[in-house]
Amino acid sequence: MIFALILSSANLVKCEELNIYSHRQPFLINPFLEEFTKKTGITTNVIYSTKGLAQRLRSEGKNSPADVVLTVDIGRLYIYQDMDLLSVISSKKLSENIPEHLKSLDNTWFGLSKRARIIVTSKDRVEVGAISRIEDLADPRWKGKICTRPGSHVYSRALMSSMIAAHGLEEAEKWATGLVSNLARRPQGNDRAQVKAIYEGQCDIAIINNYYFGKLKYSDKEDQRTWARSLNLVFPNQGETDRGAHVNISGGGVAKYSKNKDSAIKLLEFLTDEFAQNLYGEINFEYPVNPKVEATSELQSWGSFKEDKLPILTIAKLSREAQKIIDRVGW
Amino acid sequence: MSFGDSEGLWEHLLDTVLIKYVKNTLFLMIGVSFFSLLFGVLSAWILTNYKFRFSKILEVLMLLPLACPAYLVAYAYTDFFEYAGPVQGLIRDLMGWEIASDYIFPEIRSLGGAIFVLSSVLYPYIYLLSRTAFRETPNSYYEVAQLYNKNIFWIVSLPLARPAIVAGLALVCMEVVSDFGTVEYFALETLTLGIFNVWIGMNNINAAAQISTFTFIFILMLLLVEIRSRAGKRFNDTSSRQTYKKAKDITGIEASFCIVGCLIPVSLGFFIPIMILLSNALSSLNFHNYYEVAKIFTNTLLISLFGALCIMVVSIVIACTAYFSGKRYLRTIANFSASGYAFPGTMLAIGILVFIGLVDKALGLLGGTNSNFYLNGTIFMLIFAYIVKFQAVGYGAILSGLTKTSPNLIWASRSLGMSFQKTISRITIPLIKKSIVAGGVLAFVDIMKELPITLLLRPFNFETLATFTYQFAHDELMGKASVPALLIIFVGLIPVLFLNRVLRSNI
Repeated sequence: MIFALILSSANLVKCEELNIYSHRQPFLINPFLEEFTKKTGITTNVIYSTKGLAQRLRSEGKNSPADVVLTVDIGRLYIYQDMDLLSVISSKKLSENIPEHLKSLDNTWFGLSKRARIIVTSKDRVEVGAISRIEDLADPRWKGKICTRPGSHVYSRALMSSMIAAHGLEEAEKWATGLVSNLARRPQGNDRAQVKAIYEGQCDIAIINNYYFGKLKYSDKEDQRTWARSLNLVFPNQGETDRGAHVNISGGGVAKYSKNKDSAIKLLEFLTDEFAQNLYGEINFEYPVNPKVEATSELQSWGSFKEDKLPILTIAKLSREAQKIIDRVGW
Repeated sequence: MSFGDSEGLWEHLLDTVLIKYVKNTLFLMIGVSFFSLLFGVLSAWILTNYKFRFSKILEVLMLLPLACPAYLVAYAYTDFFEYAGPVQGLIRDLMGWEIASDYIFPEIRSLGGAIFVLSSVLYPYIYLLSRTAFRETPNSYYEVAQLYNKNIFWIVSLPLARPAIVAGLALVCMEVVSDFGTVEYFALETLTLGIFNVWIGMNNINAAAQISTFTFIFILMLLLVEIRSRAGKRFNDTSSRQTYKKAKDITGIEASFCIVGCLIPVSLGFFIPIMILLSNALSSLNFHNYYEVAKIFTNTLLISLFGALCIMVVSIVIACTAYFSGKRYLRTIANFSASGYAFPGTMLAIGILVFIGLVDKALGLLGGTNSNFYLNGTIFMLIFAYIVKFQAVGYGAILSGLTKTSPNLIWASRSLGMSFQKTISRITIPLIKKSIVAGGVLAFVDIMKELPITLLLRPFNFETLATFTYQFAHDELMGKASVPALLIIFVGLIPVLFLNRVLRSNI
């Protein structure tokens, strides 16, 4: 029986197949891959892990079976670029479908969907308009009112990076200190848990990724739908001269030693085309990167917003400084 | 990697978070040790010395938390105890309180919460090993102690069972230090969590590897203490007719105390979390494709079984060689080989990736350009990783079995002309059969629950119940995670029950 297992793993590299290293959960990417297979006949194999896939790719070196890398968060994508694990791709379609600030300068990685870091407030306890900028969260007025994830989580760290980019190290650290002193509880849990805490009255304000709101609004659990109903959404920094809300991406690239580069590029192109771009919105409430594709009507109903056009690469490059501030202020 | 460039990060870490990491890790270890010793030794003592209604069932029940992965129990309890959970909701309703500041309730996502969760699921390691030790203590020792009117627990049982208890405790501590799932979920900044902050946040795997090495020193000290305290003390009985102490019948209040004493830990580590998971699972029964789940289920069984077999073979070879050779350095190496258990799974997995990468390069050179046989990404790599990680489980069990067999038997056999290999297979292995089975079962259950190594090193499209559960649990989708989580626990129960039968039967 063990031999059966070994054989099945040895037999994988054959015919038109694409091997994917994914930081996204299988239940989220499978609908995309199924459609891709239907359209092209290319079947896909997936390894999903949240951590360490870059190290795996590196230690496999030229022997690596991987063709495509899919990740969430720019920080993770950048690690691949930094370790020189991705191929340089020239694809007209990818250049057309993805705006400049959401891909690498050297054409190694590409943003595939956008998510905005937004503020949610309690409908009952926070006036509409009382908070409009991410900077407001450091205002002593909100002492004991704010809930967040731990600062060391990639999403918090990326937000911290965007603050450094906007205000410089010193100001950014001041902001972080203010934010931490306003926290209602020790940073914990994921974005879902923050919403729950607002609903239950433990805090009034939280920072979440926009798609969590959609997931809760359409949850199959009644109680989670109730949490979502207790919220107002705030897209921060929308003022006319303001920089816009911080966005992060999910993205991907082609492995440096991929043996199926053409098919791998096909998959990336497929993911930036209209069908898949819509699917990101439908399945996971994410915004399309492709400017020709409109956000789903559900997303539009939450309000249109202006995004921070900071090159996403800058966020990744400031990641270390961001973590240092997070360590210092104890977020 | 540890010798790589850390780019001056140590200074920053020392200034900011390192002390916090160390403090949290130490307190967590001390807290979990205390409670798991209390739970484990007390229940083992009660159940070997007293016989009462339900005591036979309790003996089995005590082992059940072994089947529960700590991170799943942490998920379940968080749902249950946190501010928005049913317990606090009920208290608020009953007392008419409305908001958090109206009352004080201990936060579940905290150091105390982590101690609570980890001790509840880890105490069976101590229970199992100390129960076997208590049971195998020759009655003659007790008789002597009673003649002198000494307390048999403190004077006889505890000292004699110490190697077993300490072996169990060492396992518990290693689990604690390497735990990532629970501390991540509780946002408790231990050294292991710090490793990940440095690695991913600072994009510096060298500094992360250095912290792991630093963490490793923790465990090394622990092992040294254990070995030192054991040195020079051999516990084996040389009398030919061994009888074991009979359990005393008790009833009434005494018996109820015993029942409650045993029920508390098993409820905390098993029944309550199971009930929470069950109620979650019921809400999302229709979500899963059961054909797929069945495949994953079989896959998990096969890999765990094969992994456990490999671990036991390796452990027997290493333990017997080290124990009987009498050479000090061999023992040191053997003890060292057991230290993989204390490494956080992901860091260990990365170490193995680097190692296998080198082996593959060497194989490539040997095989020339035509060679396309690689270990990377195969099931072999995964099995190898399991051996590195869980060898301590097998080794510990066998070593504690060996310390109870008399070396005189081996010397007798050797002087009668049997070879060393034959002596081991004909004399030693039958003598320590129980220990072998116990170690094998622990290894099986450990592999089945294992998450970070499997996640990172598995071949394409390879799922175990743990990885399948994780994709949902990671997103805090407890309903969807609960069905496969319950399956992990359910499969884990079978070997655990089997283990109990083997340990009970007289061999």
